[in-house]
Amino acid sequence: MASADKPINTDVPEKDVFALHFLQSLSNLRRQNTFDSPEKTNDRVKKIKKAAYVSMARAAGGTNRLWSRALLRRAAKENNKVVRFPRRKKRVTCLRRRSNRRDPVEEEEAERLRNLVPGGGGMGTSKLMEETAHYIKCLSMQVKVMQCLVDGLAPK
Amino acid sequence: MDPSLVNDSSFSPANPSSYTLSEIWPFPVNDAVRSGLRLAVNSTPSDKDVSTAAAAAAAAEESTVTDLTAGWGGRKARALNSEEDESSKMVSLSSSGNEVVRFVRFCDDLNVVVSVDLKDSGEKKRKLCGSESGNGDGSMKPEGETSSGGGSKATEQKNKPEPPKDYIHVRARRGQATDRHSLAERARREKISEKMTALQDIIPGCNKIIGKALVLDEIINYIQSLQRQVEFLSMKLEVVNSGPSTGPTIGVFPTGDLGTLPIDLHRNIYEQQEANESRGSHPEWLHMQVDGSFNRTT
Repeated sequence: MASADKPINTDVPEKDVFALHFLQSLSNLRRQNTFDSPEKTNDRVKKIKKAAYVSMARAAGGTNRLWSRALLRRAAKENNKVVRFPRRKKRVTCLRRRSNRRDPVEEEEAERLRNLVPGGGGMGTSKLMEETAHYIKCLSMQVKVMQCLVDGLAPK
Repeated sequence: MDPSLVNDSSFSPANPSSYTLSEIWPFPVNDAVRSGLRLAVNSTPSDKDVSTAAAAAAAAEESTVTDLTAGWGGRKARALNSEEDESSKMVSLSSSGNEVVRFVRFCDDLNVVVSVDLKDSGEKKRKLCGSESGNGDGSMKPEGETSSGGGSKATEQKNKPEPPKDYIHVRARRGQATDRHSLAERARREKISEKMTALQDIIPGCNKIIGKALVLDEIINYIQSLQRQVEFLSMKLEVVNSGPSTGPTIGVFPTGDLGTLPIDLHRNIYEQQEANESRGSHPEWLHMQVDGSFNRTT
């Protein structure tokens, strides 16, 4: 790592990009669901939720963020699709540092974070914090956008 | 001629930015030495300045007395040896509280070797370069590495005041596993706590909480509430989506623009959803009042 600590780099995700993707996926879903059946409501809910997350992952981080990658991979696996990411060259130092990353004092707290944030298992604690910050920003952005969508699409 | 170790006791503690020449170098110096030292002492803690100071000092130097090496800047010590067992290092005193000091080592005229034994937060001692001139070159490179490791971790060193010692002595640098591990541990922990403060700024209401565990609890609660909100909103959206005439009135709070959504509203929604989750059926939480205007996002 650089000797001078760079300011924590969390780009604020763009609402427009996310909204665009989300609306596209929503319209796709709407075209699919031509029938109303109460049993499938939960499925639809899940689909919408997944679409929301996927579009958020695509819009917010692209493939530059670990959690977005994990999200996309997980979503693709459910659809039986294979996702390819441009692999960055793995440096040896990264591998070597992994053995040292955990500290028993902080580990219990980090464990809970890892369960929450997607892709948390493969990150060191320091990286986890960064991803958490970015994830929180994206989540709040997503909530706001969805809120406005609901307002906007609901009939008066 | 072996440089003899000089024991000196005058080293002022806890005064990192006000070293005067008399304090650190209580010996009679001639002009060349004085100029060299003065340049070194007054240098700001940046690599460039020190190396230029070293270069300037070396340039303005009379020939025989001192040899200065720019040991600080390039993380490597080049010994400008005019004689065989001569090597010297630069004094650089940083005023930022880092107390990594290396001394100019003069030979010949003064016959002294002065160095500083630093304590690093009590866990270990930062050992400086070897005292032997024969070891000068050999030990200078690991010393450079130490300083590079130390420089990078310099911000994490505690600003421990120099205890008044009976003697200042030179130790050969050990730099073994324990020292480096504790340094690395400290650096890691610093980084993590710095990121946690960054997280604290994001999450509202986390500034007042002190203590890592509580802050982490807050963070986890916040993430969970956000995720539940997403689920809740997706349920709403699903109702909106399915159905030609998007169904019953969906009640929301007056939200208005995207940017000014206060976080308390989120909490309210979240709690409401929690209360409604127990009912378990769709239409009930939809029968709410709607009011307010809304803005489209696109």
